[in-house]
Amino acid sequence: MSEPTEGHSTGTLQLVSRSTYVKETLLKSLFFACAFVFVLAVALIFVFVGWKAWPIVTDYGLGKFITGTVWSSSTEEFGILPLIVGSFIVTLGALALGTPLAVGTAVFLSDVASPRVRSFVRPAVELLAGVPSVVYGFFGIILLRSLVAQFSGTLGFGAFTAWVVLAIMIVPTIAALSEDALRSIPEGIREASYAMGATQWQTIYKVVVPAAKIGIIDAIILGMGRAIGETMAVLMVVGNAPVFPNSPFAPLSTMTTQIVMDMPYAVGLHRTALFAMAAMLFIFSMLLVATVRLLSRLRD
Amino acid sequence: MQHRKSRHVYGRGHRSVLFLSSRAGSDRPSRGTRVYSAARLGVLAALAFSLLMSAGCSNQKQRVDEISVSGSTTILPIAEQAAELFMADHPTANVLVSGLGSSAGIEAVSAGTTQIGTSSRDLKEEEQGLGLIDTPIAYDGIAVIVSEENPVSGLTIEQLRSVFAGEITNWSEVGGEDRPIELVNRDEASGTREAFKKIVMEDKPFDRRAAVLPGTGQVRDVVARAPGAIGYISLGFVAPRFNSISVKALKIDGVAPNEKTVADQTYPIGRLLHFFTKGEPTGLTKEYIDFVLSDTIQQGVVVDAGFIPIAEGGAK
Repeated sequence: MSEPTEGHSTGTLQLVSRSTYVKETLLKSLFFACAFVFVLAVALIFVFVGWKAWPIVTDYGLGKFITGTVWSSSTEEFGILPLIVGSFIVTLGALALGTPLAVGTAVFLSDVASPRVRSFVRPAVELLAGVPSVVYGFFGIILLRSLVAQFSGTLGFGAFTAWVVLAIMIVPTIAALSEDALRSIPEGIREASYAMGATQWQTIYKVVVPAAKIGIIDAIILGMGRAIGETMAVLMVVGNAPVFPNSPFAPLSTMTTQIVMDMPYAVGLHRTALFAMAAMLFIFSMLLVATVRLLSRLRD
Repeated sequence: MQHRKSRHVYGRGHRSVLFLSSRAGSDRPSRGTRVYSAARLGVLAALAFSLLMSAGCSNQKQRVDEISVSGSTTILPIAEQAAELFMADHPTANVLVSGLGSSAGIEAVSAGTTQIGTSSRDLKEEEQGLGLIDTPIAYDGIAVIVSEENPVSGLTIEQLRSVFAGEITNWSEVGGEDRPIELVNRDEASGTREAFKKIVMEDKPFDRRAAVLPGTGQVRDVVARAPGAIGYISLGFVAPRFNSISVKALKIDGVAPNEKTVADQTYPIGRLLHFFTKGEPTGLTKEYIDFVLSDTIQQGVVVDAGFIPIAEGGAK
């Protein structure tokens, strides 16, 4: 791209030929259109979901919807508290299992591994990120569920199985982003630490990781976003009982899985309740995005 | 009904159009390519088909011979497929099938607005004196399954109800090992769940802590591998297929579920599927009922739909 076109004042634009000017303008509009279509799609989805979900406020009552503890379509009771709790149990447990693994992998890749080792560990992590979630679900229901069933003496459906499956799913996301954060720490900081007589371990946990703290938290929140929205893999292993589970091995249900289970036959208020649940998920993900943005501002 | 009528109209319309096109085809010199002759074959086949179709409706007076079959949605697949095959055999007959629910079917047949009322339940007391004749056409049975490792071999229906309501939570309470009972339920869209709820649970709600699985195959697979699990599936799915592991079907009230016990109704979690007529069936109604009871339908449509033919074990 030539220098003058990058200027924004009309004065510099006069320096280029008419055809270049037209081309530049067209491209600018094209990119604007791309971005605009995307924003429009998000807005439309939001408006549609909100519009479909609104009757829950007028016909059912928002308080009863959010704090109700019974989800039962046959008796027209739509309390989503057990489902919200289920979503958080599944998500937070997966984060607790996955985060140490992911951050450990990231530290290994950025500070410990030799270039040769890194050259095959990194692609493996990236490959894991690209596996479709239904494959994880299939692995979860066939292999993991029966293993869990054997050692726990239950059906194997429940939070624990979902934690393991989800942890494997979010490790690549968190690891890749954390590694970027760790590698963006200037080499000089590490050298200063070594110069003070610190060992490699001391350097990692006292200097490098704290310096990359906000980037790593960013990565964890994005991983949480993936975990809370994940449906297919979770649906196959949670057991789909819309109750507060009394053990990690008891069936539970999450917001996303309940939507999938009920969608095929939901009508009337039941359908509205599903849309309202989708709106709740929308709000949760907006909160997560807002947190990430706030943290990035903090880092800068 | 609309569907059938429109088919008559199209049948006639096709005939005249295709006559023209086939004549136009024969006027042409016969040096057509393979594609052309294939197309002509297609046209001829379509012509033959439309002639066959219109032969049935050419005499509208005979199409007045019409019966209607309405009621249970469970029976709908049997009644519909039987109606199609029946009309193929009887070009003058028109059988209209609709599913409104068993109660609506019984009401319609007693009011005389339909010739056959289909029902997946017996007559209630207040429906007894209406002069309805019952012709059972098939059986539907639900097996309660546990793992082969489970030593319990039977439950009473009251125990079963308490188990699925979450009141009995350990196998030792029903004579088994000291092991928690793991309930496996079906999703609310399932017809099997609906039938189980009606027959076994009566007014008690299901325990909501039960795992809810979206398919018969999944219920079977999960229960087969978990020693503490209990679930229910249609009787037709109990026997292992494609090398799946076997499951144990529990005796209920001392009766093991099989085609015979479901058929003679000694096994409690089963139901008869009925055709009700106002008085003894006559004419086309009788012909249609006889057709549904024939081997063609019983061994084909009925078995394929997962039900048990009425002849197995002898109808009452």
